[in-house]
Amino acid sequence: MNELFRRIRYLLNRRRIDAELESDMEFHREMAARAGRSNFGNTLRMREQSREAWGWTWLDRLIQDLNFTGRTLVRWPGFTVTAVLVLAIGIGVNVAAFSLFNMVALEPLPVRDPGSLVRLERRSPQDYTSEMPYSSAEFYGQHAKSLEAMIGVLGVPPMQMNDDVQGTSASFATANYFSELGTPAAAGRLFEPSRESESTAPPVVVLSYTLWQHRFNGDPGVVGRTVRLNRKPATVIGVTAYEFASLGGQTPDVWIPIAQQPYFVTGSTVLTNPEANAVRMWGRLASGVTAKMAAEELKSLTNELRRRHPKDIWDDEFIDIHPGGHLQVMQPEMYQVAALVAVLTLLILAVACANLGGLLLARAVSREREIGIRMVIGATRARIFRQLATESVVLAMLGATAGLALSSLGVRVALTQFHAPGWLSARPDWRVMLFTFGVAIAAAVFFGLMPALQIARQKQHKTIVRQVLIAAQVAGSCLLLIVAGLLVRATLHVLYTDPGYACEQLLSVDAQLGHHNYSPEQARAYLDAMRERIGALPGVKSVSLVKLPPLGHAISRMDEEINGHQVPVYPNWVTPEFFRTMGIPIRLGRTFYAGEKSAVIVSESMARREWPGQNPVGQLLPNGDAKDTVVGVSGDAHANAANDDDAVEQYWPAQQADMPDMALMVRTAGKPDSLPPMIKGISESLDVKLFPEISQMKVLYQDKVLDLIENIAKAITLTGLVAVVVAAVGVIGLVSFSVSQRMKETAIRLALGAGKVQLLRALLMQFVWPVAIGMVVGTGCALAGSRVLRKVLFGVSNLDFYGYAGALGVLSAILMLAAVLPARRALRLDLARTLHNE
Amino acid sequence: MIIMPMNDMPKSGMPSGALTMLILRVLQSGSLHGYAIAQRIHVLSSEVLGVEEGLLYPTLQKMLVKGWVTAEWGISETNRKVRFYRLTPDGRKHLKAELNEYDRVTQAIQDILRTA
Repeated sequence: MNELFRRIRYLLNRRRIDAELESDMEFHREMAARAGRSNFGNTLRMREQSREAWGWTWLDRLIQDLNFTGRTLVRWPGFTVTAVLVLAIGIGVNVAAFSLFNMVALEPLPVRDPGSLVRLERRSPQDYTSEMPYSSAEFYGQHAKSLEAMIGVLGVPPMQMNDDVQGTSASFATANYFSELGTPAAAGRLFEPSRESESTAPPVVVLSYTLWQHRFNGDPGVVGRTVRLNRKPATVIGVTAYEFASLGGQTPDVWIPIAQQPYFVTGSTVLTNPEANAVRMWGRLASGVTAKMAAEELKSLTNELRRRHPKDIWDDEFIDIHPGGHLQVMQPEMYQVAALVAVLTLLILAVACANLGGLLLARAVSREREIGIRMVIGATRARIFRQLATESVVLAMLGATAGLALSSLGVRVALTQFHAPGWLSARPDWRVMLFTFGVAIAAAVFFGLMPALQIARQKQHKTIVRQVLIAAQVAGSCLLLIVAGLLVRATLHVLYTDPGYACEQLLSVDAQLGHHNYSPEQARAYLDAMRERIGALPGVKSVSLVKLPPLGHAISRMDEEINGHQVPVYPNWVTPEFFRTMGIPIRLGRTFYAGEKSAVIVSESMARREWPGQNPVGQLLPNGDAKDTVVGVSGDAHANAANDDDAVEQYWPAQQADMPDMALMVRTAGKPDSLPPMIKGISESLDVKLFPEISQMKVLYQDKVLDLIENIAKAITLTGLVAVVVAAVGVIGLVSFSVSQRMKETAIRLALGAGKVQLLRALLMQFVWPVAIGMVVGTGCALAGSRVLRKVLFGVSNLDFYGYAGALGVLSAILMLAAVLPARRALRLDLARTLHNE
Repeated sequence: MIIMPMNDMPKSGMPSGALTMLILRVLQSGSLHGYAIAQRIHVLSSEVLGVEEGLLYPTLQKMLVKGWVTAEWGISETNRKVRFYRLTPDGRKHLKAELNEYDRVTQAIQDILRTA
């Protein structure tokens, strides 16, 4: 420790100590001269060696290197600007992607003690649901000592506020919701456990900041006013703050205490029914309790629940605990998407690095003289290498700073574009900073290492390294462009083909009868009456029932084992006229008979997969202990998985017991715009307590499918084009460099009468192979890797010819242009002057 | 211009570890300036060992950093302001350890030479 202090003292007083050393040596020399000796040697060099004993030489060298780097970068401003720009793009894209991931999965919510919040979900080896019965949640909350608090949220279909035609989104939350999160109110007060826990408490609502601003013009006088929700009066007690961070990223317009749910939804038993998985549950771990300890306690509580309700708890069920204090609880599928995005953005960085590596090598040739002189006056290879490495790191840091700025800008635009919650900010936090730093260092290694080694060994004239770099750039941009091409094709496909059913003239009507405690008989009566009276409306062509309306709130998926491999199957329960109503063709066999049992209709993809070359009609499919007979084959609809071409459907005839869960599908002859108010009127006349959610399929399709794929395709195309532009800059740079290197040769050839084509060929020949190899490698990677894209390609093959051809065509054209433009300079040479100069 | 490779590394056969020990030893009897240290070693070794300046000053710097010696200003016999190097308690301790180690090794070598 003392030694370190002394070293630091030496560093701080270096000038004085160096002077002392000089004086010592001066004295030594004087004395030696007196004694008749005069060969003292090089004092400067000796002083340098003595200083090495202090252990600060590296710092001196670093400062020298940094100084020199600064001068070098200023001396070639064109190169510096290009390099920083290329790096800023490469690094910025990665930082932006990471920032978004950070926001969603890493950054803790700005709530009280987010680290102890956990998300609790039911899981067993076979089953999983993100929601649980309220009675179970309550049971866990009361009995678990490892949980300090239980927070539950019940999402419901939009409710009718006052006399609005448009629904207002609403969530029922436990009374401790806001106090547990430590949320302040923008006006009035939020729920208080002491006042809103009982169902007998006076009905109240809390408004979201957005609703308050848009509907009530931010009037603070709204507090205390009465609004009607589903015709039930309730008092507004307060407004959430603009920066309010909710759990799980939910942003409903109104919040209602969960205890008052039966008041607003008449007849609902959702809070008491132990079968209704309806509530999303969060918990707060008691202090000193780990997630593992809590999991053990909850497991024993689950077993206790099984004793009470044996048929409602699955075999081997347990409560899955995830960190809950983030915007999103990451599911395995989301990590796959994140990995895919990471691969694509890292590819851009790789292209940028390869490009910059080429530029550095090219510049090294023009720095030959400088480096040569330094070598000759005693610099070692290691010293030259260190100097070049310093330059790379400085460039990378400049690029990273610019990239960080670029990414913050991008994230800011994205946040406003997607109406992100107010608490999300584009300002980079320490994780983003650290990531940026790491990426910058990695980039410096990628683009700087190979050229620096080549230069330090004085081998910058070797073309092979440049060719490898070109091939790498071309391969990377080729892969990116192909992915972009496929996604563009997918977008066009979705935009210009029908989704497997004609959605233009379709409406879905979902009254959620089960939530209003309808018995199967009551539900049947209501649905029959609705069918009859809607069917009688002018312009209605057909009406049918369906359990899971397409693009609705619930999606069900089962992984069914077919011939030994898992196939994701989307099940649905329908009435016979479903296929006609939806416009899904029956390819083989027939639709169901009324009241039919033990029958199943499969989609054509499933039939092809399970019984290739056989007649699927009449085949048997296991269904629990019984067997269902396939009575028909329908067209592929992908109604609940529009993006996944591997998804197949299976339909069962709806039975009496399914009735409370059924929704209506309505097909009209013309535009269905005028129907919703009429349908609403019919439902009201049947049961005034119901508020059916009426959706136009084409609107849902636009919102849920088209907007999504358009945004994805836009983003990917943009990244692909960025990569191509970066690669083109690299090719332009390298070709013009190679042209200037071969001025003399070109001039002589011209003088001897070579044709232009011959000349261009001679100049560009060295780039043909790398480009060709790069394209082959890139296409190969795309062919191999694009399988993972299938799920987002909306039915376009991942080997789609036009996607590949388009991408390769664009790439070739741009590269050709990038090569020929600078090469043309060679053809306009002033022969006399060039030859004279050389 | 002809550029010659520079090589002024001392050609003394003395390893720097030994030099450290010798410097510590000659400083044991009192503080000395750099030239005197070199002279003392030269004289005491009956003019067998010579200390190259190129090795002396780096070694002294290392010893300063290690804290074995300190330097303070004094007046030389030629009436010039010069720095005198003095042994610290740490240096004394280190010298003792070095000497013990040296004795052990020489003893071992001599044993081999005598018996082998």
